Amino acid sequence: MADQAASAGAPLLSVRDLHVRFPTERGTVNAVNGVSFDLYEGKTLAIVGESGSGKSVTAKTLMNLLPRTARVSGEVTYDGKDVRALAAGKVKHFFGVQMTMVFQDPMTSLNPVKKVGEQIAETLRYHLGRSRGEALAEARELLNVVGIPEPARRVSQYPHELSGGLRQRVVIAMALACQPRLLIADEPTTAVDVTVQKHLLDLLDGLRRDRGMSMILITHDLGVAHGRADDVAVMYAGRVVETADARSLFFDMRHPYTEALLRSIPRIDDPVHHRLDPIPGRPPELIDPPDECAFAPRCVYAQADCLGGVPTLSGLVGLHRFACLHPTGTERGMAAMAANRAAGTTAAGLAVTDRGGGGG
Amino acid sequence: MARFVLRRVALLAAVLFAVTFLGFSAMNLLGDPLVNVVGVLAELDCEGIEAGLVEDTTVDAASRDCDTVAAAKAQYHLDQPVPLRYVLWVGDLATGDFGTSFQNDQPVSQVVREKLPETLILLVMAQIVSLGVAVPWGVIAAYRANRAFDRGSTVASFGLLSVPNFALGVVLLYLLALRWQVFPSAYESDNLGGLVYSMVLPALTLGLPLAASYQRLLRTDLITTLQEDFVHMARAKGLPPLRIMFRHALRPSMFSVVTVFGVSTGALIGGSLVVEQIFGIPGIGREIVTAVIRDDFPVVLAIVMLVACTFVVLNFLVDLFYGWLDPRVRAR
Repeated sequence: MADQAASAGAPLLSVRDLHVRFPTERGTVNAVNGVSFDLYEGKTLAIVGESGSGKSVTAKTLMNLLPRTARVSGEVTYDGKDVRALAAGKVKHFFGVQMTMVFQDPMTSLNPVKKVGEQIAETLRYHLGRSRGEALAEARELLNVVGIPEPARRVSQYPHELSGGLRQRVVIAMALACQPRLLIADEPTTAVDVTVQKHLLDLLDGLRRDRGMSMILITHDLGVAHGRADDVAVMYAGRVVETADARSLFFDMRHPYTEALLRSIPRIDDPVHHRLDPIPGRPPELIDPPDECAFAPRCVYAQADCLGGVPTLSGLVGLHRFACLHPTGTERGMAAMAANRAAGTTAAGLAVTDRGGGGG
Repeated sequence: MARFVLRRVALLAAVLFAVTFLGFSAMNLLGDPLVNVVGVLAELDCEGIEAGLVEDTTVDAASRDCDTVAAAKAQYHLDQPVPLRYVLWVGDLATGDFGTSFQNDQPVSQVVREKLPETLILLVMAQIVSLGVAVPWGVIAAYRANRAFDRGSTVASFGLLSVPNFALGVVLLYLLALRWQVFPSAYESDNLGGLVYSMVLPALTLGLPLAASYQRLLRTDLITTLQEDFVHMARAKGLPPLRIMFRHALRPSMFSVVTVFGVSTGALIGGSLVVEQIFGIPGIGREIVTAVIRDDFPVVLAIVMLVACTFVVLNFLVDLFYGWLDPRVRAR
């Protein structure tokens, strides 16, 4: 928190009350419901949540990659400019130069019929007006930067000739080509081997630091965010349910969902055959959601008031905020847990055993 | 890449063998080939006559008829065993010797040389028309999928696909040649420009329905490709939509069109039979119709062989083209 006060000034990227809806035949999917956050120059924001939490849709909204059917409202400003107006005005040299994105699956995010070098060089030629030769030379240099051995040979290879890890490095090189100020990484390591994951994350982090980039790191794995993010926003059912600087979030979390996410990660110092704590139930329906805390049906703290309306995020943007009536690690939370344990069930009907909780 | 090409060439050789063998069988194994060449004279027992064992009933012409039979046997290698006959026949084909037309004793190769260019020009123009129409049409439809233009073109393409060649030809002839007089109604061959100009209507007649099917295929494939991650990546790189369309999406979306391009040549040749009749073009299509009616076996066989081999070779080229379209094909 103190950190953010120091970097005062205007944020590089600012999102306010973002809503994204998709009309479908079954009804309107409320994918993102009022997301707000700020990202300052040179910082990393991790957006964490399980599938369907709206994190990828948020990223795609920022990059203007949503299908035409999507209904978007809210404000996205980059460096004081309205991003959605920029995109609608078909402005040249904004995406790819200021702001760019790395996708989840390196197997599909490279064009299978174009050589790796050409795909990197293309951006340089279009945005920076480099000649073909210059661009290819820079592409080789970029492959070197992202740690691909024998870049001179790799530039003239096709994506199918590279492994998944190498391809993701190529994608990163491609994204970095024009020295963007903001990189959105959407689950950049989900589709690669665990052994490669750490290398890629460290690479991204190192590049971010070297180039003073800002980064939005989207992941379902709190462990990925740990140690790499300055700030973390936890999303659930299209809402940010808790957001704070990384230290507060990991060591002084308030939202039961954040706590549950953290408990579901296996730890190296767990005893052998230790059972993980899965989060009971399934992610909520995004079509016609009931007017209650979306996590309540799966929450061991849930009380009657949780079912009486959607809790809003407390506090000011930039501070530790959470949307919970009975936050973990507080007296209200402990009281709620004790009551549920005594009753053996939550207000939403979830069975509570002794193993099932234990606040902060 | 070399292995890829080599395997395709081996396949090509095998198919060409099958095609020529079938053609050869049609001529030689179904009935007596000699009957096809000399007609009733084949019934003559020349050996018997020569040996004086059979009474010569043809009065004075017997020895001449027997000479004719002997000459025909020599020309068509009928005095050789069947396998050798096949080899000799393929050798003749390869050197351009297709035999002699029964109709006017012209060498068949000369008939082919006169008629083939007209048909080739027609087919090439039809393919140019169809691709030239289908690619922009498919691209625009896919770019604005399910909008007014796309829905309209769905109707238009199914309309074009369901109109038979002869009807479309007549309609085009009436509108563009008679009513508005944009194109000539009759075939001209004075110079190449005039020839090409007079071929526009026939090419449209053949090409437009094909364009409709190409457009359907290209639109569908493009819509799929445009949802691929690498297209999103290209957008995230900030490339403009047209550039993404032509540099990223079009090439991986061409497979169905290229496949149908190869296969449709057969249908086009079939269509050219009708279209050449309507527009009075002296091409292979008209020739084969005449030849079939007149039982002119060497001409029919030559044209069938030519068409079959062109088809096979074209599809071989299409196979090679896949390799260019998608590098992953080469690796297989």
